[in-house]
Amino acid sequence: MNQTELLNALAGLTLFSDLDQPQLESVAHTLSAESFPAGQRILRQGFSGSGFFVILEGEVGVRVDGEDVARLGRGDFFGEISLLLGEPPVADVVAESPVKVLQLAGPQLRDFLLEHPPVMFRMLQSVSRRLERANRRG
Amino acid sequence: MTSTTPSPGPGWATPPHPPGTYPVLVVGSGPGGLQASYYLSRRGIDHAVISADPGPGGMFRRFPFFQRLLSWTKPHVPLAHDTKEYERYDWNSLVAFEPEHRGIMPSLMDGSTEFPSRAEMEEGIRRFAERTGLSVRYQTPWQGTSRDGEHYVLHTPAGEYRSRVIILAVGVAEPLLPETPGIEHAVHYVDTREAASYAGKRLFIIGKQNSGFELANGLLHWASPIILASPRSAHLSVNLHSLSGVRARYIQPWEDADTGGGVFILNASIERITRHSTGLSVHTRRSDTSEPFIAEVDEVIAATGFRAPLLDLESVGVITFGRSGLPIMTNAYESATAPGIYFAGTIGQGVSGLKKYGIASNSGAVHGHRYNARLLVDDVAGRYFGMERQRPELPPGEVVGRLLTSASTAPELWHQKSYLAHAVSRDPDGRIRDEGIVSLAEYVDAAGPDGAAITVETDDRGDIHPALYVRRHGRVDVDVALESSPLLDFRSPEHHARLSTLVADVLG
Amino acid sequence: MSLSRQEKLAWLEKVPLLRQCGAEVLEHIADVSGELPFADGDAIVLQGQVGNGLYIVTSGEVRIVAGGEELARLGPGEFFGELSVIDQQPRNATVYAVGPTACLALASWDLLALLEREPQLAMNLLHELADRLRRIDAQVRD
Repeated sequence: MNQTELLNALAGLTLFSDLDQPQLESVAHTLSAESFPAGQRILRQGFSGSGFFVILEGEVGVRVDGEDVARLGRGDFFGEISLLLGEPPVADVVAESPVKVLQLAGPQLRDFLLEHPPVMFRMLQSVSRRLERANRRG
Repeated sequence: MTSTTPSPGPGWATPPHPPGTYPVLVVGSGPGGLQASYYLSRRGIDHAVISADPGPGGMFRRFPFFQRLLSWTKPHVPLAHDTKEYERYDWNSLVAFEPEHRGIMPSLMDGSTEFPSRAEMEEGIRRFAERTGLSVRYQTPWQGTSRDGEHYVLHTPAGEYRSRVIILAVGVAEPLLPETPGIEHAVHYVDTREAASYAGKRLFIIGKQNSGFELANGLLHWASPIILASPRSAHLSVNLHSLSGVRARYIQPWEDADTGGGVFILNASIERITRHSTGLSVHTRRSDTSEPFIAEVDEVIAATGFRAPLLDLESVGVITFGRSGLPIMTNAYESATAPGIYFAGTIGQGVSGLKKYGIASNSGAVHGHRYNARLLVDDVAGRYFGMERQRPELPPGEVVGRLLTSASTAPELWHQKSYLAHAVSRDPDGRIRDEGIVSLAEYVDAAGPDGAAITVETDDRGDIHPALYVRRHGRVDVDVALESSPLLDFRSPEHHARLSTLVADVLG
Repeated sequence: MSLSRQEKLAWLEKVPLLRQCGAEVLEHIADVSGELPFADGDAIVLQGQVGNGLYIVTSGEVRIVAGGEELARLGPGEFFGELSVIDQQPRNATVYAVGPTACLALASWDLLALLEREPQLAMNLLHELADRLRRIDAQVRD
């Protein structure tokens, strides 16, 4: 995937959909491309040193104590709640297919969000919606 | 297709490995390919090695440009050069079981510095191949791939090579240029000329990672001004607690920029390059203000990275990712989507491991991937040749001591922190087995017998300490950090007591 | 109770949501927010209404009710109403005053404008929501 393709792919993700070209380039330079084979754990329940991930391709399963609770795919992101709260993840996230992601080191998330307010706002929206859904379930 | 006969390499009467079918094929004669070939030969697995080059060395036949490597070999540490423990201080020699083949680099370096020259590194690789009895068919470039039932077929000018198992060690050295309009007025890092030819030139370097700073550092004496530009800020390795980022040896341009001495470090995206009668104009947009900024220069060098030259591997099912086009791989460096195709050497950086705190492995460098090669060959041996791994029995009383000694001295753990680990397990009959060096990601995520694995880790504050992963009922639930120690020796009574408590229920 | 501008500022400084937001942000909030009094049992926001603002409790107490069940109680310095401002969906709970209560109300468009301009405020809000999400998820699992 060349740079233009990568930037187009990023612009198509909701999380980055409000960014202009220089900001997209900044994001592309800051996050690192990683991949995982099917069956590989990407986020590990209870482990320290976790990161933040945005899915470019493929599907992952979210599992708590071994039980499937959700599926995520292209454009979805995970790992941010643990990092914001400074706690280990409370769920495993496992690749269900070969997965391509963009990854950000945990210690860099806070500064990354502060430097890219539109991304932070999209994340706020996502967390708000999840909170509303959780309120309704509870 | 006509078959050409390459001229014989040094010391060989006729080229070895004629086209045909082999149990394993290795492509590449740099450190990655040769280390893999070494392990295959010691495992007794017959294989052929082919290479496009006329001789061994891989990327070290050309790079780095400005003389010396970034990786060190320290001749004066109080350890014999033929010991395994010495490897911790020698980042450049290929590794071997036999003491007489270890520590080749310190014996051939000129002794003036701990950083080998490019020529010394190339010679070290050549010597390793010769002394360990490896054989390579040179000047036989891999040009295409196809499948024939169970076999992969590699096409070369000499003919076709067939195997169920291919190990590609072709490096990540194919130049990558951005699609910036006018990029044809720039040259890629690989085409940098000799330093003196830049005397008095106004130079613009695209890219502020290690390559960009290496160029700026090497041309500091000659070019003026030097402008380094890319959208994001540069990061220093010392701040990242890892070897990513700009290495300490290339910090001079940074200091120069700080004092206004003729180096300028810019956070900007490059929009286009135009040529006019008196030079080049580089049109940029600053990252902080989004304002345009135009630099008038004589030369532009693009230190914009590399990709892996994987040719037509997609056609046989290999899926790649990212700008560098690295394959998606298992923890044993096999393609996740094309079974039987493995990748040795620097391509292994595509297996990221746990990457705790965002700290990357050293799989992109010799001192990392020389250890990955053994895991790769073990996987090939087990899965394709039915050869079981050795798992010697350990007396229970020795387990804790063995793990702490590894954490304190094992070069695999020190060069691949939080990536490789030393594991022990308990058989159903209660016997303790030494599993040796394993992939940490594989250990924590795959099912397996009860046991424990120890590794060395760095956290986000730069603290280096042992970390323990205990597997109970087939699952590793948590990572436990052990105490650090000022001289990084973890064999204290306190460490012993703590580790004993932690593993008591699975190994006691 | 009616707060002077000075009193408002002093009080805003201590609100956890506004931690590390500069003086300029606090002054702007002091200027654009209005203080609203409520009597015991008054509905401050209604389930089903589209969000018109964020409320910070300045005195008294409120209870959050959805589906006939009380979800939580909030006191001085705590806030509510932000979810439906952020994604413009109808409110999913009704909030009642418990005893005489006063809230500082920040209109929806003012909050959104502030979130865009003040990354630290957005970060504080994100942190608070993440915390709530983690706690609710834990409750649901148990």
